[in-house]
Amino acid sequence: MLATVFTKTILDRWRGVTVGVASLAALLLMAMAIYRDIDLSIYTNLPEAFLSLVGIPPDADIAALSYNAVYNSYGALVLGGIAIAMGSASIAGEERRGTIGLLLGNPRSRTGVLVAKTAALVALMTVSAAALWLAGIASPQVLGVSVEGMHVGAFTVHLGVSSLLYGVLAVAVGSWTGKPGVAAAVSAGVMVVSFVAVGILPLVEGWEDLAKVFPWYYLGGSDPLLNGVDWGHLAVMGGVSLALFAVGLVGVNRRDLRSRSVGVSLLDKLRENPLTARVAERLAGSARVSSIAVKTASEHQGLLLVVSLLMFALMGVLMGPIFSAIEGYAVDFGEVFPEELVALFGGGDISTPEGYYQIETFGLVTPIALMVVTIAVGAKALAGEEENRTMGMLLANPVRRSRVVAEKAATMVVYGGVVGLATFAGVSAGSWLGGLGMDYGNIAAACVLATLVGLLFGSLALLLSAATGVVRLAIFVPVGAALVSHVVNAMAEINGAGWGRWSPFHYYLGSDPLVTGMAWGDAAVLATGTVLLLALAFPAFQRRDLRQSG
Amino acid sequence: MDDLIALHTEGLTKHYGDVLALVDLTLDVRPGEVFGFLGPNGAGKTTTIRTVMDEIRPTSGRASILGMDCHRQSVEIRRHVGYLPSDLALYPNLTGKDTLTYFANLRGGVDWDHVAELTERLGAELDKKVGDLSSGQRQKVGVIQAFMNRPQLLIMDEPSNGLDPLVQREFQAMIREVVSQGASVFLSSHTLSEVQRVADRVGIIRDGHLIALESVSSLRSKAMRRVELELGTTVDAAVFDGVPGVRDVVVENHHVHLSYDGKMEALLKRLAERYDVVDISTEEADLEEIFLTYYREGVTV
Repeated sequence: MLATVFTKTILDRWRGVTVGVASLAALLLMAMAIYRDIDLSIYTNLPEAFLSLVGIPPDADIAALSYNAVYNSYGALVLGGIAIAMGSASIAGEERRGTIGLLLGNPRSRTGVLVAKTAALVALMTVSAAALWLAGIASPQVLGVSVEGMHVGAFTVHLGVSSLLYGVLAVAVGSWTGKPGVAAAVSAGVMVVSFVAVGILPLVEGWEDLAKVFPWYYLGGSDPLLNGVDWGHLAVMGGVSLALFAVGLVGVNRRDLRSRSVGVSLLDKLRENPLTARVAERLAGSARVSSIAVKTASEHQGLLLVVSLLMFALMGVLMGPIFSAIEGYAVDFGEVFPEELVALFGGGDISTPEGYYQIETFGLVTPIALMVVTIAVGAKALAGEEENRTMGMLLANPVRRSRVVAEKAATMVVYGGVVGLATFAGVSAGSWLGGLGMDYGNIAAACVLATLVGLLFGSLALLLSAATGVVRLAIFVPVGAALVSHVVNAMAEINGAGWGRWSPFHYYLGSDPLVTGMAWGDAAVLATGTVLLLALAFPAFQRRDLRQSG
Repeated sequence: MDDLIALHTEGLTKHYGDVLALVDLTLDVRPGEVFGFLGPNGAGKTTTIRTVMDEIRPTSGRASILGMDCHRQSVEIRRHVGYLPSDLALYPNLTGKDTLTYFANLRGGVDWDHVAELTERLGAELDKKVGDLSSGQRQKVGVIQAFMNRPQLLIMDEPSNGLDPLVQREFQAMIREVVSQGASVFLSSHTLSEVQRVADRVGIIRDGHLIALESVSSLRSKAMRRVELELGTTVDAAVFDGVPGVRDVVVENHHVHLSYDGKMEALLKRLAERYDVVDISTEEADLEEIFLTYYREGVTV
C-alpha cells in the first residue's frame, strides 16, 4: 500500500472515511426504523412550497424522509468535511509536517504529487458515495420499507460530486498558500455559507435564483432523489472542481514550498514594523506566553475569531432583517406547521422571530459552531502537546499536571463563553435591527444553554485528550457522540419518546428557551455533565505515561 | 541540598507489555559530577530520562533527584533541574525569546543577564520563530532554556544534536563551568568523543540493562592499546603467537599494527629475540573502542 503517493494517501485516510460512512449508514437505518413507526400524515399536510424547499416529496414516504434527514444534511456536511480534511492535507499538509522536501526528493514532480493526492480524494469520495448508495438500498430491504420512485443512486452521485468540490477547493487553496489551516477554513466557510444561503434565499421573494451561485444548490436543487441525476447540475459541480484543480496545479508549481509551515499572523507583521512594534510585542510576544492558559488561547485565536464573527454577523445580526423581509411568507408556513415537525427543530414556531432564529441559528449552526471551538481546544489541549512532543518540555517546568489540565480547561470554557457571547450580541442586534422585539433575557438563556452543550462535548474531547493523548480520538468520538445524540433527540421529539432525555440536546432547546426563558434545571444537567467530564480528566492525565510522539 | 546525591535510581524497571525497556537500573550521579550515559538506539537511555523526569512511570523501582522522589515531588524537583530532551520539539509559532519567556514564567528565578550571556556564547538567534530556525539554532534555544535558571542538575538527552563543532566546544565549556560551580550533569549521548571530553564517569546500557558503570579513566586503563611497530626486517606474524593480550595483528613488510592489552615489556621482549625494533608508537584506545567492545562481547556487570 505504500508503493505510490496515491496508495499511501488512501492508506492514511481510509479509516476516517470508513468511520464517517459507517456512522451515516447506521444513522440512516435508525432514522428509517423510527420513521416507519410514526404517523407520516404530519408531513403530507405541509405546504407544497415548503416540502419542495426541504426536498421532501409531496407524497412523502418513510424512505424519502429518511434519506432527506440523514443524507441531505448530516451526510453532505460529514462527507464534505472529510473531503475538506483530505484536500487541505494534500500538499499543504506535507509542508506543515516538513515532509514535502523528502517526498519531492524522489523523482516525482509537484504536478504528479498533486494529481496523485487528488486522485485519492476522488477515489475515496467515489467509494463513499457507492457505500452510501449500498446502505441506502440495504436499509429499506432490512426494514421492509418501500423505495419505489426513489433514485437513491442519483442522490448519492450528487452527494459524492458535491463533497468532491469542497475537497478540491481545499486542494486549490492549500496549493496556493501551503497552509492547511487556511485551506480547511476557507473551504469549510464556503460550505457552511452555501448551506445557510441555500436554506434562506429561496424564502426571500426575488432572491430565489441567487441560491444558484452557491455550490450547495447543486447537491439537491434538482431533487435528484425524486428526479434522478441532473446532468447539468453534475456538470456544473464537476466543471468547477476541474477548474479549481487546474488553479491548484498552477499554484503549487509557481511558488516556493515551505520547509515547515509557520504561520505569519497580522500581529507578527505589526511586530516587525517599528511604529507598531511596541504594542504588538506585548500582544504577540511576552503577553501571549504569560501563562499556559493564555498561550493555549493564542494558539486558537484565529479559529475563535472566525467562528465568533460568523455567529455574530451572519447567524446573528443578518437574520433579523431577513426575517423582517420574509415575515408574511413565514407566517403562512407557521399556520400549517404541525407541532411534531416544529419539535424536530427543538420547538418554536417559524412564524415568530423566536421560532425563526431557533430553526436558522440555534437549531444546528450554533451548537456546531460552539463544538468546533470547544472540541478543537479540548482535543488539542493535552494530546496536541504530546503529538507535537512539547509536553515533555512543558512538564520539565515546576508545574503540576493538574495545573496544565486546569489552565487548558479554563481556556476552553472562556472560548466557549466568547462564542456564546458573540451569538448573544449578534442575535440581540439582529432582533433590534429587524424590530423583532425578542426578549434579551431569553436570547441570553438560549445562548447559555448552547454554550453549555458545546462545553459538554468539548469536555468529553478534553477528557479523551487527557486519557489517551491521541488527538484524532479526542475529536472523532465527541463529534460522533454529538451527531448521534442530535439525531436521537430529534427522532425522540417526533416520536414523543422519553428516551430523548438521554441526549444532551434535549436539555438545550427542549424547553424552548427563546420563548420561555432560562430552564435552570436543564442548565444544571448540562453543567453537571461538563463538570463531571472535566473532573475525570484530572486523574486520567495524572496517572498515565506521556506519549513520546504522535 | 548541595551534598545530596544528584540523581539516584534503585531497581528502576519499565515494561511496555512484553517489551523490557529498562531492567533493574541502579545508579547514582554524585554532586559535582558529569555522568555520561551511553548506549545505542533503543537501549533504554531515553526511557531512563523520561522516567526520572516523571513523564512515564516505572513498572517497579524508584528514582530520586536531590533526595526528592521523582514522582511524588516531581514539581519541586523541576525547580532545580534543567532538562533538554532528545529530538527537541518546541512551539514553532513562538520566537526563541518568546519560548524562553514562556518557560521562565513557568519556572521563575531566571536571570535575563545570564540568558543574554548564554545567547551570546552560543550565537543563538532568539528573534526568529522557532519553526523558521535551522535544527542547530533550535537546539541552541533548547540548551539555553536548560541552563537559564542555573539548575543544580542538568539532564540532557543527546544535547549536541545539530550543534556545529565550534558550538559543541562552547557547550562543553559551559558544562565544565556549571560543574565547577557545584552542579551535576547527567548526559546521554551517542557522541562518544564528547562524553570522553566532559564525563567523569560513564554508564553503558544495552537492551535495558546497565552493563558497565565506571570512571572514564578506569575504563580506559582496562582498554586495549593500538600499537604500531617498525622492524628491521620483514616480519613473520607467527612471532606473536602465544603472547598474551595480542590481537588483530596486521603485518605489512616491516610494519606491524596490533591491539595489545598487557605490559609492553613482554611484547618487546618477544620481538627483540628475533628482530631489530626500529620504531614503536602506541595510541590509547578511545571510548568508542571500549564502547564497541562492550557491545560486541556482551559483557555484563
